[in-house]
Amino acid sequence: MRTEYDGKQGVLMRKLFKLTLVAGVAAAVLATVSPAVDAFERRNGQKIMVMAQRQAVPIMDPSIKYDASIRTMQQAMYDGLMKYTGTPPTVTPWLAERFEASDDGLTYTFYLVKNAKFHNGDPVTAEAVRWSFARTLKLGKGPAWMLNAFLKAENIKAVDDHTVSFTLDRSFAPFTSFLPWWYIMNPAQVMANEVDGDMGQKWLIDHEAGSGPYKLRRVEQGTLYELERVQDYWKGHKGPLGGIIYKLIRESSAQRAALMKGEADISTGLSPDEFDQLAKIKGMVTSTEPALTAFGIKFNTQGKYTSDKNLRKAVAYAFDYDALVKIYNGRAVLQTSPFTDSIKGKVNVPNMPRQDLAKAKEYLAKSQWPTGGIELEYVYVQGLEEERLMGLVLIDNLKDLNITVKMVPLTWANMVARGSKKETSPDMIAIFATPVSTDPDAVAIQYHPSSHGAYYGVHFYDNPEVTKLIEEARFTGEWEKRAPLYAKIQQMITDDQPEIFGMMRERRIVYRDWVKGFEYSPVRMTEEVDLYPMYIE
Amino acid sequence: MAELTKEAHELTVSLDWRERHVSTIRMLRLYARTFARNGSAMLGLGLVLLFLTTAAIGPYFVPFPDDATGSVHIERKLQPPDAVHWFGTDEVGNDVFTRVIVGARVTLQIACIITGVAMLIGIPLGMIAGYMGGWVQEVIMRITDVFLSVPGLMLAIAIVGALGPGIVNAMVALSLVWWPGYVRLVQAKTLSLKNEIYVDAARSMGAGSLRIVFVHLLPNCTSPIIVKASMDMGMAILGAASLGFLGLGAQPPFPEWGAMISVARTYLPDWWWYSFFPGTAIVITVLGFNLLGDGLRDILDPKHRE
Amino acid sequence: MIRFTFKRLMLMVLMLLGLLAITFTISHIVPADPAALAAGPDANVEMIERYRVEYGLDRPLAEQFLVYLGKLLSGDWGKSIHTTRPVWDDLVTYFPNTVELVVFSIAIAVLFGIPLGIVAAVNQNRPIDHVIRVLTVTGVAMPMFWLGLMAQLFFALKLGWFPLGGRIEMMTDPPQAITHLLLVDALLNGHFGTFVDALHHMVLPAVALCFPALASIIRVNRAEMLETLKQDYIVNARAQGLSTFRIVAVYALRNAMLPTMAMIGLRFGWMLGGTVLIETVFDWPGIGLYAVQAAISSDFEPIMGATIVLGFFFMLTNLLIDMIYGTLDPRVREQV
Repeated sequence: MRTEYDGKQGVLMRKLFKLTLVAGVAAAVLATVSPAVDAFERRNGQKIMVMAQRQAVPIMDPSIKYDASIRTMQQAMYDGLMKYTGTPPTVTPWLAERFEASDDGLTYTFYLVKNAKFHNGDPVTAEAVRWSFARTLKLGKGPAWMLNAFLKAENIKAVDDHTVSFTLDRSFAPFTSFLPWWYIMNPAQVMANEVDGDMGQKWLIDHEAGSGPYKLRRVEQGTLYELERVQDYWKGHKGPLGGIIYKLIRESSAQRAALMKGEADISTGLSPDEFDQLAKIKGMVTSTEPALTAFGIKFNTQGKYTSDKNLRKAVAYAFDYDALVKIYNGRAVLQTSPFTDSIKGKVNVPNMPRQDLAKAKEYLAKSQWPTGGIELEYVYVQGLEEERLMGLVLIDNLKDLNITVKMVPLTWANMVARGSKKETSPDMIAIFATPVSTDPDAVAIQYHPSSHGAYYGVHFYDNPEVTKLIEEARFTGEWEKRAPLYAKIQQMITDDQPEIFGMMRERRIVYRDWVKGFEYSPVRMTEEVDLYPMYIE
Repeated sequence: MAELTKEAHELTVSLDWRERHVSTIRMLRLYARTFARNGSAMLGLGLVLLFLTTAAIGPYFVPFPDDATGSVHIERKLQPPDAVHWFGTDEVGNDVFTRVIVGARVTLQIACIITGVAMLIGIPLGMIAGYMGGWVQEVIMRITDVFLSVPGLMLAIAIVGALGPGIVNAMVALSLVWWPGYVRLVQAKTLSLKNEIYVDAARSMGAGSLRIVFVHLLPNCTSPIIVKASMDMGMAILGAASLGFLGLGAQPPFPEWGAMISVARTYLPDWWWYSFFPGTAIVITVLGFNLLGDGLRDILDPKHRE
Repeated sequence: MIRFTFKRLMLMVLMLLGLLAITFTISHIVPADPAALAAGPDANVEMIERYRVEYGLDRPLAEQFLVYLGKLLSGDWGKSIHTTRPVWDDLVTYFPNTVELVVFSIAIAVLFGIPLGIVAAVNQNRPIDHVIRVLTVTGVAMPMFWLGLMAQLFFALKLGWFPLGGRIEMMTDPPQAITHLLLVDALLNGHFGTFVDALHHMVLPAVALCFPALASIIRVNRAEMLETLKQDYIVNARAQGLSTFRIVAVYALRNAMLPTMAMIGLRFGWMLGGTVLIETVFDWPGIGLYAVQAAISSDFEPIMGATIVLGFFFMLTNLLIDMIYGTLDPRVREQV
């Protein structure tokens, strides 16, 4: 039956292959039109800096939301009354050239710079400042929690065009340490775009009304965000640059490829091993300062097993702390106190647990499960490679105590939900916590019952004595009196072992050597970059 | 045809086994010959046998059994393949060869469970729908349509997204999106068979519904089911690996191939061996099941087209 | 025909409702608290409560579902609790990207699938048939994400022929949105450079995505062709000295069109949802990535929105196929 085709088959085959070939050639032609790669992207003859980032910036409204990526953009487009700069981080005057606090610590008066302008040319006035704070407080989202417990919108007054005063309900020592995260918007511009009384919420999702060093040029949702430099920025610029493109690249390996190809100039959030590979390449600069972020494995101190302090101690002494550092290829520093190194008033707590199997067994013997034989749950954020590796280390370490570890990866949403109640909070949770300021209260409050159920309060730690000390320190004005209180707090928390105090990772920021002006400040989130001082040579 | 033989055998008990089943045997011989002539099907069979052998005895011969369930040897992490570590080591120093071999058994379990659960749900529903007809069929088929009306992977992602990632949840999700295919298949087949003469004959002889379904209809559906199941084994492996890739499937140190790749992809291209070997294992296994299914289809179901 | 179409459309509405109910149930299985999530890690109870009330999450589940349906009927698709962006805006942004990728990918599959299917049929059981079979089956057996990664590493990184990912070159301002399909908009605006650039970006992801469809199309065409070549009229035509190429082009190809179309329809719906893996690898801002992100963060209204769109288009393509079949074959009409 086959044979009858044979004669003509050759023709058919040739024609069909020709068709296929044409298609192939078309693809090849497309391949070769690849645009020539210039070292730099340019717009109007000025260089553009490209950031390759993994996390999107779905919303830019300063009143509604902040995280590392969102704040990177907000910080570029908006100014605050104050700004964090340098190491150790200091709150420096920004839109406010100076401020005064009343003796009772209740009233703060800020004097604004006179030359600051919004991007549409309007001057930055005291009224704009008042309105911006009032908007954030009224909407009650994003940074509102920082001040809404003791600041009412009606107690903010525009005294004159360039003077604004805040009257607090009660004295609160860390007040100014929060101000850098409250950005000033142009009320005229925002309200002109109000829809159905939403105070411009819909418009500000992907527009801006700031006075910062960059303005928003375009938003390609899910792809990139482009910033254009405000060349006559009221505070001036340090070096030349035309603008910045924040490009989304979701794979760590693709991020690295973009950097190597020169398609990107700066990147954060690479995996430790990739980071090390890049660091070896000529022309790459890396920034590895320790971040303010603490990593710890929190115990549920009111849970079935982990309410037993001796068991907690046993686990803490069995844990291989060096492995933590090794996971980061040495780019991490172990915590020597519940407070991370950049926190004001941090002390080195003596006898922080380090791996010591004899001690671990000793504590285990004193616990309700002297021979182990139990299974502990270790919950971590699904997809977070380092947390997963730490789980592996735990499994390995606790084998010696005859304790098995069940690794449970959860989405952040489900993890937060589980941690919100002491009944469901798992035995151990891996938590990265970044305090919003370097004031010790920002960390200490995490061990106060008011934090129970928040992601950093999943330990449900409740020591009335510590609680009292935290409250006392919080409302104490003078630093000389506060410092010893915090030293004591650190020691007491360490003794109770509500978590395995882990490490501070170094941030992993890589940029090409033509990128200049990168400034590091520990108070920024691990993947947050202050774009203002940066330029390309 | 098998039924006719079976019916016949009740009447002719005196014949010996070989004689009684002579036509079945002849049919199987024919199948075997046709199959053996089909090169790609034989390749598929070979690959599947290799996979099954590995799954059965592989775990007893691996060089680093401890690494299978995950241990930590940071000092030898990310070493390229050599005489000791044939497939290199991973990011915590586990032997990739060991994990790939042990992964075969895990993968087999996953594929069997997903396909099995889908069949357990889908086949009875399809039978009921096809045999009962009327509103029962309407309800079952419309529900099936709803499940089929959204891309399977999407639905699986939604389910795992809700239940939380993990191998058990991934299997639950994949089983839940897999069964509607069987309902459609079996329902259509049952529908076409239930008015066949021999079924009518059985009914007139007083056979109950259950007997008709199990003795007369089900065996006649086996060919397409076997073909589909063979293809689905491969697809289920891919499905589980895809969920793993998105970080929603099995979680390391569980030695599942997809999960290994989901970790290993961040180590490309410099540490290529880490993702290359589990990836190759997936390709070979899925290829085996697909070729086998393809070959089986040619024999058992020559008219069937997609 | 009109009655058939009407009945099918009614059925489609019912099925969409069923789909919504299932999706709604699934996304509410776990006690994840979207309000707490949206309010941010530092938010206090009061702020979380504010989100809960604003998004109606404080109401009973059944009521939430009804409220959602009511809003939907009035054309309000809700908004993401996470980004506060209206779901409709997001769908308009992301869905066309996926459609373009899938259409292009299917075009590739058809372009290569039909000739390869015919070649395989004409050479049934010869080495070339087996080679084509093994190649396509291997293509299907490869995890799609893996193929994408490898293609990216080799063709983009090593050879530099194609971009690593993304939709268009980043310095290009996209053309004014008319249809929201980038390729079409570029042509309508006369931006030919952008058109070529967008096409160039689409090659790798589309190729990585096309294998399942390619394999199906080859298989259908091969089978159909084998069937056709056996028909009496073909044997007659051949006896009259018609060349094999004519026979294939005139008769066989025509017969293969219908099942190929049906296959394309089936695959289209399936690929709309299956692109998520490729979208992840190539940073393609499509609906798959959007939906996965929403599912992970328990963002209900985007999950529902994406479900409706995907389900609707899936059902629509099925309906179209059935209508084509129905026009050609009255028996199909009777069955519904």
